[in-house]
Amino acid sequence: MYLRMFLNQLWMSLKIISRVPSAVIWLFAFPAVMLLGLGAVFSGAAEGPKLVWSHTATDSKADDFLAEALRERGVRVEILSPADAEARWQQGKLASMLEGDDGHYVLRANSYLMMQALQTEALVQQAYLTAQARAQGASDLARVPVTKSSPGGHHDGPYAAFLLPGLIGLNVLMMGLFATGVTDVTMRDKGGYKRLATTPLPRGIYIGAQISGRLCTLVASAAMLMLVGGLVFGIRNQGSYGAMLALILLGGLCFSSLGYLLGSFARTVESYSGLANLLFLPLMLLSGVYFSLDAAPVWLQKGAELLPLAPLLKALRAVFNDGATLLSQGPQLAVIAGWLVVLFGLAVKRFRWV
Amino acid sequence: MGEWAIEARGLEKSFGTVHAVRGLDLSVAKGEVFGLLGPNGAGKTTSLEMLEGLIRPDKGEIRILGLDWKTDGHEIRGRVGVQFQSTQLDDRVKVREALAIFGSYYKKSRPVADLLKLLQLEEKADSFQSKLSGGQRQRLALGLALVNDPELVFLDEPTTGLDPQARQSLWDLVRGLKREGRTVLITTHYMDEAEALCDRVGIMDQGRILQLGTPRELIASLSQPSYAEIEFQGAAPEAGPFAACLGLPVEAKSSHWAVSLVDPREDLQKLLACVASLDIPMQQLHVRRATLEDVFLQRTGRSLRD
Repeated sequence: MYLRMFLNQLWMSLKIISRVPSAVIWLFAFPAVMLLGLGAVFSGAAEGPKLVWSHTATDSKADDFLAEALRERGVRVEILSPADAEARWQQGKLASMLEGDDGHYVLRANSYLMMQALQTEALVQQAYLTAQARAQGASDLARVPVTKSSPGGHHDGPYAAFLLPGLIGLNVLMMGLFATGVTDVTMRDKGGYKRLATTPLPRGIYIGAQISGRLCTLVASAAMLMLVGGLVFGIRNQGSYGAMLALILLGGLCFSSLGYLLGSFARTVESYSGLANLLFLPLMLLSGVYFSLDAAPVWLQKGAELLPLAPLLKALRAVFNDGATLLSQGPQLAVIAGWLVVLFGLAVKRFRWV
Repeated sequence: MGEWAIEARGLEKSFGTVHAVRGLDLSVAKGEVFGLLGPNGAGKTTSLEMLEGLIRPDKGEIRILGLDWKTDGHEIRGRVGVQFQSTQLDDRVKVREALAIFGSYYKKSRPVADLLKLLQLEEKADSFQSKLSGGQRQRLALGLALVNDPELVFLDEPTTGLDPQARQSLWDLVRGLKREGRTVLITTHYMDEAEALCDRVGIMDQGRILQLGTPRELIASLSQPSYAEIEFQGAAPEAGPFAACLGLPVEAKSSHWAVSLVDPREDLQKLLACVASLDIPMQQLHVRRATLEDVFLQRTGRSLRD
């Protein structure tokens, strides 16, 4: 009887979520676009930088050595006549441009795009040294070998592999703060809860089904991200799927409680949005969704680790990228579970149907 | 148990310093349509919410279908139906789904197809609620109150904001509930609605029931059960000389005078005589029977719509 009520209610809540365009966009389209977009921009590994070479077509041994050395370093060289090259430069899209020939070169760097220009410069300088050595008949000098490895050491994933667990965590945060809280406030404000309170439907079943419905969508969204990440960037979950599921559910419960708790402080959706954003932006920025916080001051990092999102992201990354077990994530789990107990308790205490 | 669907004694409820309900006594017989009448802020909705078990009275006793909210809440909820003034269910639930999901909350529920037919919402069964007209929304809200085949139905201002045709179709539904032997407690601030639907009405103001009886009894209890209204083309002239001639108080409004008739036969003759002798530029004369509106006005000295 109660199980059927629960399943009916769960099915209805999933149907409603699937009919809210913004929910579908935020849960599926937004994380997929972020993963594809940021993943591609910061990957850097797939294709080397482009370099336009303004060159008059004379035959020169020195030019050949330089071109070969650049190619070896992954630089994609495009040779243009000085007039054409100048025209391209004027468009402003080139980070740097190589000019001159037969051993006399100048690298023009775009002052607006210095980060990219410096990266190219390093490659050009190395290539030039190699080319000079080869022109004099010397053998190549030894280089420092480079191995790629993630901080956990088990997987040499691209930036997308760092980003993916971050996006899963971001989804958990947004689900709790926005989907849960806004629905809670709307239901109370518009009398939806009051109407339900006049029926024999047990309250726990209703709220339980609502939370379960959102957890289902979180899991579906995470599965979609992993699928896209696997297909596009070739990144795979290095840990167990059970551990990922457990982390998503634990985080989901924690942030659902936060949504309900916060909802109890607002009368209308408008006032709620202000409250939610007040928490959302700092949580997102301090917890390292997109970038590692290594560069931040230590007190800020330590502070962020006490909030619930940073430990969740840390644990998700440890499992997904380094194949860590749940047991090894004890400190992180303890912080999240502690928040869950506090937030859940307060949310239950403050919850009102009318 | 027995004949009363609702028994309430000495209900009181305050919100902070506001005494919303101060001493409400109410008995509604099984099978009766009872109207709680009063202006906004009279305490109707608070009274209703106490009877519906949504809020606890500060003082007083309530029995619903012979049961007590404190011990038998679950059973009462299964046997009553509730419609709110403005229930905003999720707009993305279809009509058919809303009826089905509410039905799933009860041990027994009426088939969705029957309800759709009763509510005349068959063509809208697969529409989202956002696509319904005001009248259709209210019919659906009523339908949701009927999914469990309730013995007692609470309706809170079911026709507020509806056009005359939509009101009429809702009235037909309420009359149907009475024919089926259900008890109905309805709140409204439309006096014509109460006269048209209710077996008995209680007139509420400032948290109390001022007067209680059948609409006929209440109107008959007025000292002046009929009224004459003299209308003018433009602004109404100064009423003093006319009142002196007539020997009755004249209520002067912007474009008409209203006179309460103590003895209609005698007073109307005198009225026409005064109109002629004072050469009053009367455009039209209306004589009407008093309504519940007048009962309210006489009991409180205020009009309902204030």
